[in-house]
Amino acid sequence: MAESRVANSGAAPRRIPVMEGLFVETGAGPRLVGSRCGGCGTPYFPRAAACHNPDCGGGKMQEALFGPRGTLWSFAVQHYPPPPPVKYDEPFEPYAIGLVDLPEGIRLLARLSGARIDELRAGMPVELVLERLCSDAQSGGEFITWKFRPAAEKENRE
Amino acid sequence: MRKVAVLGVGMHPWGKFEEKSVTQMCREAIAAALADAGLRWRDIEAVAAGSSRFSGGKGWGLNGNDVVEDLGATGIPVYNLSAGCAAGGNAFHIGYSLVAGGHHDVVLVVGGEKMPKGFIQTSGVQEETDPEYLRQICVGMPGPAFWALLCRRRMEEYGTTEEQLAQVAVKAHQNGAHNPRARFRQELTLADVLQSRVVSYPPRLYEICPVSDGAAAAVLCSAQVACKHTNKPVWVGGSAVATARFDDGIPRGLATVVPAGPTLHSEARLAVQRAMESAGVGPRDVDLIELQDNTVYYELAFPEEWGFCEAGEAERLVERGETSPAGKLPINPSGGFLCFGEATTAMGVFQVCELVWQLRGQAGARQVPGAKVGLGQTLGLGGNATAVVLRR
Repeated sequence: MAESRVANSGAAPRRIPVMEGLFVETGAGPRLVGSRCGGCGTPYFPRAAACHNPDCGGGKMQEALFGPRGTLWSFAVQHYPPPPPVKYDEPFEPYAIGLVDLPEGIRLLARLSGARIDELRAGMPVELVLERLCSDAQSGGEFITWKFRPAAEKENRE
Repeated sequence: MRKVAVLGVGMHPWGKFEEKSVTQMCREAIAAALADAGLRWRDIEAVAAGSSRFSGGKGWGLNGNDVVEDLGATGIPVYNLSAGCAAGGNAFHIGYSLVAGGHHDVVLVVGGEKMPKGFIQTSGVQEETDPEYLRQICVGMPGPAFWALLCRRRMEEYGTTEEQLAQVAVKAHQNGAHNPRARFRQELTLADVLQSRVVSYPPRLYEICPVSDGAAAAVLCSAQVACKHTNKPVWVGGSAVATARFDDGIPRGLATVVPAGPTLHSEARLAVQRAMESAGVGPRDVDLIELQDNTVYYELAFPEEWGFCEAGEAERLVERGETSPAGKLPINPSGGFLCFGEATTAMGVFQVCELVWQLRGQAGARQVPGAKVGLGQTLGLGGNATAVVLRR
């Protein structure tokens, strides 16, 4: 799937998070890294240093992991190459961006993957993946970001 | 609180003006507003200016101090208001408050912009703490994509068709054709709109406003001053500023909480509700609305969110021509942002100009018959919104 730009071998390119500290691979699969307020329970992504709920009585912020399941609230298709600082591989290929609701109570923006644009529907169940955003010309590696793809029809608990 | 009148308004045309500075455009708008008010520069006791000049860098944008120095430094107070695309509305509210609170009798409100090329850029701050930057770097999302997301949700919830979206743009251009200050004055057919390039599905090129240079000014005054100049002033019925609520479901950065209720721009609804409450009016009393139509979606969603029609009804109103000047719910008889393009800090003041001309019966072929009460609303990046109710 990922094209190798390393001249010397057929090894897969190095995966570099597009930004540090936003997601992690756990034993149970990928998760987004955020916070939850110990006082009112409000979830945050990315991490929050303090609670921003105006009705919160005060509570300690705890690290929270979110995912992998979600529901697609809506999505948009990016048809034209966006201006800097957005990065993409040439030649530009249209991609979908979604707003996903997670059962943990957080709603977040994410790239969408693993489906043709005409297959996407608001309300469809989706699952979190960590995938290539674009190549890193400097290192020959690839930038990784979080995306959501359509979830399997039936949930197979393993 | 004293009664406040809008005594004069003036506008520089919207478009691209390579040779003119933002200060020059404002000077022309202010000259027109002063002439309309029958006052001189020396009569102005304070200036409230919409300013997009951010601290820490971006040089483009109006600075109220430049305007005062250009017209002649008289030592008057200058207030530069920053609220993204709502800055002009914020400036109006401050100007209004200064007169209403008895601090000054004559205040100038001004907004002007000389936009950089392309779609509106963000703060340009390349820092991980900047929510716009996170969207761009991690998700690859420029501004118009968010409108597309909202629009698609509406299509799935209410069955809005591409034709209905396009009809909003057609109506806008029918109005713009009758507005000599509009940038885009050609009428468009439904086919023209539907054949325009898709920017971020669903919105197409003609369904999203571009950026423009422009400037507008308004002279506000006390009742005592107004009555010396006119026996039928345009009054400020209500004015309000609001910011977004924590739980409205619209992420301003990467994420927000899943809302308990509907997803909507709470800042816009709050500002509109407060302004209408101050004015003592309900939706039935409002004869026309100038709302922020960065994209056609807002002309459908906002009237519903503000109680002007039932949820899902807006498309039918557009199709039946009810949002045209002669209809039951005239929206953006000026031609709106779609026909002017957005000159960020000037938009709130541009709306006041149109409301005043409409209420005075000076709107020519785009006149809303018998207009007595008008509502204006702006929405700015960062969860800012303003609203004003004018009446005559």
